[in-house]
Amino acid sequence: MTDVHTPKSGPEQVTGPAAQGEATARADGSQPGAGGSPPGQAIAGWLRWGWRQLTSMRTALILLFLLALGSIPGSLLPQQGTDPASVQQYFTSHPALAPWLNRLGLFNVFAAPWYAAVYLLLFASLVGCVVPRTFRLVGAARTPPPRAPRNLARLPHSVSYTSALPPAAAVEGAATVLGGQRFRLRRPAADSTEHWVSAEKGYLREAGNLLFHLALLGVLLSIAAGGLFGYKTDKLLVEGQSFADTASALDEIHLGRLVSDSDFAPFTLTLNKFTASYIESGESRGQPSNFDADVTYTSTPGATPKSYNIRINDPLSVDSLKVYLIGHGYAPEFKVTGANGQVAYQEETPFIPANTGTFLSDGVVKAPDASLGFMGVFVPTAISVGGTLESIFPAADAPAVSLIGYSGNLGMNSAVSQSVYQLDTTGMTEITGSPHLLVPGQTWKLPGGKGSITFVGVKQWVSLAITYDPGQVPALVCGILALAGLLISFFVRRRRVFVRAVPAASGTGSVVTVGGLTRSDASGGFEEEFAELAADIAAAEPGNQSNTGA
Amino acid sequence: MSVNLGFAQASNDFLIAALLIYSLAVLAFAGDYAFGRPRRKAATAAAPAEVAQLAAVGAATAGAGAPAVPAGAAEPVSPAVPAVPPTGSAGPVLPRRVGAFQAIWEAGPWIRVAVALSTVGILSHVVAVVCRGLAVHRAPWGNMYEFITALTCVAAIFFGYIVVRYRAWALGVFVMGAVVLALGLAETLIYTAAGPLVPALQSYWLSIHVTAMTLATGIFFVAAVLGIMYLVSERYRKRVVAGKAEPGNGLLERIPSAQTLDKLTYRAVVFGFPVWTFGVIAGAIWADQAWGRYWGWDPVETWAFITWVIYAAYLHARATAGWRGARAHYIQLLGFASLMTNMLIVQVFITGMHSYAGVSG
Amino acid sequence: MGAGFAPSFRPAGPGLVISRSCDQARADIGDTGVLPPGRLQTVRESLVFKAKRRTVVTATAVLAVLLAAALAVTFLTQGKGNAASDNTVVYQPGHRPLAPDFTATSLTGATIKMSSYRGKTVVLNFWGSWCPPCRDEAPTLAVLSQQYASKGVDFLGDDVGDTPANALAFLHSVGITYPSINDPGYLIVQKFSQVAPVSDTPTTVVIDKTGHVAAMALGAVSYGEMTTLLHDAAVTS
Repeated sequence: MTDVHTPKSGPEQVTGPAAQGEATARADGSQPGAGGSPPGQAIAGWLRWGWRQLTSMRTALILLFLLALGSIPGSLLPQQGTDPASVQQYFTSHPALAPWLNRLGLFNVFAAPWYAAVYLLLFASLVGCVVPRTFRLVGAARTPPPRAPRNLARLPHSVSYTSALPPAAAVEGAATVLGGQRFRLRRPAADSTEHWVSAEKGYLREAGNLLFHLALLGVLLSIAAGGLFGYKTDKLLVEGQSFADTASALDEIHLGRLVSDSDFAPFTLTLNKFTASYIESGESRGQPSNFDADVTYTSTPGATPKSYNIRINDPLSVDSLKVYLIGHGYAPEFKVTGANGQVAYQEETPFIPANTGTFLSDGVVKAPDASLGFMGVFVPTAISVGGTLESIFPAADAPAVSLIGYSGNLGMNSAVSQSVYQLDTTGMTEITGSPHLLVPGQTWKLPGGKGSITFVGVKQWVSLAITYDPGQVPALVCGILALAGLLISFFVRRRRVFVRAVPAASGTGSVVTVGGLTRSDASGGFEEEFAELAADIAAAEPGNQSNTGA
Repeated sequence: MSVNLGFAQASNDFLIAALLIYSLAVLAFAGDYAFGRPRRKAATAAAPAEVAQLAAVGAATAGAGAPAVPAGAAEPVSPAVPAVPPTGSAGPVLPRRVGAFQAIWEAGPWIRVAVALSTVGILSHVVAVVCRGLAVHRAPWGNMYEFITALTCVAAIFFGYIVVRYRAWALGVFVMGAVVLALGLAETLIYTAAGPLVPALQSYWLSIHVTAMTLATGIFFVAAVLGIMYLVSERYRKRVVAGKAEPGNGLLERIPSAQTLDKLTYRAVVFGFPVWTFGVIAGAIWADQAWGRYWGWDPVETWAFITWVIYAAYLHARATAGWRGARAHYIQLLGFASLMTNMLIVQVFITGMHSYAGVSG
Repeated sequence: MGAGFAPSFRPAGPGLVISRSCDQARADIGDTGVLPPGRLQTVRESLVFKAKRRTVVTATAVLAVLLAAALAVTFLTQGKGNAASDNTVVYQPGHRPLAPDFTATSLTGATIKMSSYRGKTVVLNFWGSWCPPCRDEAPTLAVLSQQYASKGVDFLGDDVGDTPANALAFLHSVGITYPSINDPGYLIVQKFSQVAPVSDTPTTVVIDKTGHVAAMALGAVSYGEMTTLLHDAAVTS
């Protein structure tokens, strides 16, 4: 980019035209003042100064640094958007520090106003730089190349040779060669006595530069569009269950600002079976090798059901939505009977994995109508290590569950919502005999005739993410355009070549000088190009080689 | 598919061999540094001859069989000054029309040995990487260890290209030394046995995204080494000018001039930056496939973004008055530091979705 | 402007061409660094004017971008969650959407057909035994169902995300005898939502005698609320 030589001084010096004399002050439209500038001019001056500061390269540099620096806490501290549980944990473990970090917006950096200010200013600076340069590029592309300098020898690359042709013909020959290489040419005015041709090429470079920067702006706008019109929802499904894509069915909903609940597509999905394969032997024993969710879905009620296998890198596309396999775990089935012997609870209860290597999982069973609650630890392949229940393999080869029972009022009849994965044991009594180990098929008869709990069997659950992002494809397109612009701006050189011929001292023929310069040296290689061009120009004139010069 | 243990073992063997050969190459480069024949005279003698060669080249490419341009005709009317660094220190920049092999031969016995060893080392390194791929039936950059072995291979090859293209033998000690260090670390601390990938990595995007990141990291690696050399060289030059150091310090006079280093660094970053950009875009596409969103400010994603922004700042700095010299290089090194942080610290220690490093930690 | 492109050259003297247009003048300035005297004032004026025009356009473009971006950020950072808010929607006669017809199975296995309720006012309650606010309002619904049974009002439940064992245990403990649909997959909810959105549990819908939705209450309902809604629903014209 060109330097913008911003004056270090304040706005007084920069209210340029007004300070420079009456004629130009009149051109401004303001009054020709005898002394100082009118107040409107002063404000305009300040604005102009501020604008020039904003669009200077130095400011862009500082803003880039701020952007990088500001992103760092977003990667080190837990963020509200991705992991609210960790944020809560941080608050509990750092009670004094956390509220201050929260005030600074450090738990949601990328949505924080100060972060937005940095990238908005950066984009303002970008646009403020790019738009004038677009004008300049268009203007420059329309103006012919500059006249050939008198003394081409001063250019970084130049070569001279003698030609048998008279100057006009020599220059014409050169012009043909250059024109053939798609250079834009300029010749002297018809009445000029000089013989030269100017050639320029490489405007694509600046165009690529501008494309890159504008495409970045496009990426920003696409992300914004996605945020406004898109949504993301989560659903946990146990094998055999199905669900309809409606607001109340979903576990988590994150809607864009302009989206409402009723915009959800009316598809339904059934999880037939989930298979997780693990490596059985060798050094990588226990590492997962494949996840496969066999689902059947209908895109609209009444449509033909279709099947699909959702895998981790293989989401399901329904209409314009995508359904991803995000996580999985175990859901042991329990049956609880109350004191009266009636079944109060029977359900496959999703347990949350505490250890993603061995899939030791935690969960709760709530049977409010039998006044019973249980906290459980499930292990898929159980061994006892010094009395502690551990899991040694993530597949459900030898499942077992250890339960701690509570009896009393679960507090579920109040209007306050509870998490289905947590049991509030205040006001409840622990049942003697806890913890009690069960394998599938076993029943724990609770003491005092309170009832019983049976560990029936084990199923698996998957968590699916259903997303809609209209800004996705535009963002990708803009990203690719940015990359293309980048490559063009790096590898296209703006260069100028001049050829000037003067009559040779010997009377016949001419001395032809070819000079060239390039604006930037990013990819290098202009030396070779110039050498080849010079050679082509020299070769295009028959008979020059036979001249022995002076 | 189970791991092919034969190839896995072969990969390990070839990598150790590469490490040893690289070490010997570093010694040979160092030997040239200390004992090699001075090449400065050869460089300055070449400068005026450049122009004659340019014209000669022109005539030669004009057509086979055309009569040669007489020496007189090639006499420049005005002194043409090709872009030889004005500081006049060692290291011709322009590719001389002498062939690569001849240039290596002319550089002296130490360089011949060093280049030969480096070539063998690179071959062994490439075989190691390929064997690893054959052992695990997939692209061999699925965990940190594989990633480092692959990127050091890229760095070594890229370095080889620069050295041969620009005849910058003096870079050898530094770049190859860094490669040896990195490989050594990988072998001792980060070694992971060959094994299959977790399902999340079982995608053809692995070949695209991680390959691009590997390439870019290798290129930035070389740029960083060159940047450090530039800073050292600049500091020495300023100290000489200020009278605080003796000129003619053999060690520092033999490396290419600061200007050359600056230009080479710039070209390396110019080469690596689009690759990094492409890698980030490919990563976003893959993230969308695997995780349901193309950008979620995952720690590794964030640091890749930070690295990108810093290298962008370097490119801007190079176009800004007052920021071109050492300052720009500080920025570039900051960018590499950010890259290393991403690779070695964030990916390993900070939990996120990118925790595939395979390092138990 | 081309500055920095080529070293400055002195004008050659009288051979210099006087440029006719601003573009030419600019190109000339760029190369020679010097303008012929006399041209200075006029060129500067027109240049200044063009520069100002460009500044204005650029400034407007940037302000527009900033404004759009600021609006976007403000909107983006206020996404909606699934917070349940207590609100009731009442539809006036003549503006009531038609409730969808469906056939479903009850918790005890019996068939339930929505259209069979035509001619009666229906209170359709979406609930689950796992849902504390649903459990909280259930006794109210139990009482109401018994009180209004003789007044041509039928109560129907839609048990979502639940198992029959859990649901029946709850209904038994709370004394609700009216049937509930077994809807673990929220299918009926989805169907209903296309007419009137059911965004959370509990939701209570009042359907009038002609099968149109008269009111929808989100959240646990109170006795008074329900009696008012039932009264309003009875008015069908």
